[in-house]
Amino acid sequence: MRRMIELQELTKQYGPTTAVDRLSFEVRPGVVTGFLGPNGAGKSTTMRMMLGLHRPTSGVALINGRRYDRIRHPLHEVGAVLDADAAHPGRSAGTHLACLARSNGIGRARVREVLRQVGLESVAGKRVGGFSLGMRQRLGIAGALLGDPAVVLLDEPVNGLDAAGIRWIRSTLRSLAAEGRTVLLSSHLMSEMAVTVDRVLIIGRGRLLEDTSVREMQDRFERDVLVRTPRPGELTAVLTRLGATVRATGDGDLVAVGVDAPAIGDAAAYAGIPLHALTPRSATLEDVYLQMTGSAAEYQATVR
Amino acid sequence: MTALLDRQWRDAVAAEWMKVRSLRSTWAFLAGGMAATALGALILFLLVGSYDAATPADRANYETADPTVVTMPFVMFFVGAVGAMLVTSEYATRSIGPALLAVPQRRLLFGAKATVAGLAGLGGGVLFALLAFADARLLLGDRPKPLNPWPQWTDAVPTVACAALIVLVTCLVAMGVGAVVRSTAAALTIIGALVLVAPIFAHFLPTVWQLRLASVLLPNLTPQLAGSDHPYLLSQGGAAAVTAAYVLLALTAGALVFTRRDT
Repeated sequence: MRRMIELQELTKQYGPTTAVDRLSFEVRPGVVTGFLGPNGAGKSTTMRMMLGLHRPTSGVALINGRRYDRIRHPLHEVGAVLDADAAHPGRSAGTHLACLARSNGIGRARVREVLRQVGLESVAGKRVGGFSLGMRQRLGIAGALLGDPAVVLLDEPVNGLDAAGIRWIRSTLRSLAAEGRTVLLSSHLMSEMAVTVDRVLIIGRGRLLEDTSVREMQDRFERDVLVRTPRPGELTAVLTRLGATVRATGDGDLVAVGVDAPAIGDAAAYAGIPLHALTPRSATLEDVYLQMTGSAAEYQATVR
Repeated sequence: MTALLDRQWRDAVAAEWMKVRSLRSTWAFLAGGMAATALGALILFLLVGSYDAATPADRANYETADPTVVTMPFVMFFVGAVGAMLVTSEYATRSIGPALLAVPQRRLLFGAKATVAGLAGLGGGVLFALLAFADARLLLGDRPKPLNPWPQWTDAVPTVACAALIVLVTCLVAMGVGAVVRSTAAALTIIGALVLVAPIFAHFLPTVWQLRLASVLLPNLTPQLAGSDHPYLLSQGGAAAVTAAYVLLALTAGALVFTRRDT
């Protein structure tokens, strides 16, 4: 069975507004894929279309080669959390999961197992209405894991969580991917995704802006090299002859653009100039993300 | 494939049944039905006391003390609310999302909910209609007509059966309405208007219109379906057709909205 998600020209229009515009991509197993974009970029609409909650205007979203609404007992193949608050507050955590499990022919033993897995075993009999956001998020993930699915989708899973909750989600997602599952999570927080995902899909105004790995993105946006030497004047002359643009920082270091760190090291060694520090500096993923999506954000604040 | 569908259907119905049982509102509404039945019994008790104190001439002028007339509209409202909540509670709490992720075939999920609404309606209808019947047997004893509508217990069978059927129908109609409006408050207002307010409103109309409207109102379909003494216009067949139309209209509208609208 193909454990992947495929979108083909997926489009959603609300009257004259195009929320998702001919979106095509694949999400493969074994890695955590981040689905990123500013608020209003169309992430949630896309995920809801993948899961049959919204009807696409055109195009198709396939999970394991089929539309989600054609999958019988889908919890065995796909687990999803779109909204941490999507549980009846009057039901206990155990009953909430038991209802979902029963609809897919999953037994009570598995309910207890996933509650233990997410650390909610001790509050299984407590009403969901009394749960904190972190506990509800864990309950949502327990629901997603009920059928031991090969594909897991999470929409903004770290929103509102404290540091411990974020760390738990991060490690859970990485271990799911390490087991060979297809893991897709959406977020508008690049800083969080930078430490969680392996691959990123960036969208803005419903269109795919980037489909790449985090490493490739970091490499592509490498900016300059910071150099510390006791003989900055001589090194500047050497690097300028190599075609680099060099400027001095306020504390005596040099910043070289247009030449990479190994070339600087080789040139300094050849000229007999000692180096005390050599640091390649990339734009942060946050910078790259903002640069890519800046013009694609639906609503932007003006700083006065 | 058929076996798989059957299994999926059974699982979906079982899950919906588990959901309706685990809602506190279900038990609150059933308690409301029980309170309405108890109130009906109290009214009947007072009426019987008044009847016993009356002269023989006055007794002949007493109206039929059919407990289903007093209690069943309230029972219809309360049991109907259980049907509406099957859908509206999920929209109110956003748990419709996980429900559709678990059963994304919307027609199947709607069918499972309708089945459970039907079962809850039938159970509630039979329970409360039988309780009303038991009240009547207990309190009216062997008093004669016109006060006693059922001097023999077998006389009550058509009315009790049809009263239970109309509760079932109300529960299905409420579920359909709930799927259309997606709001508990709106659904309960509509069902309350249909079974409690409209019969009162009909009384203010000119006689001809009063009978025309009253004849097609859900609570008044019971005596017309049962073929017992009543002032309304429909034959038993006509009443059956109107009853079927209620179910068909509400469930079709509910299914269309449920299957086509984004969630």
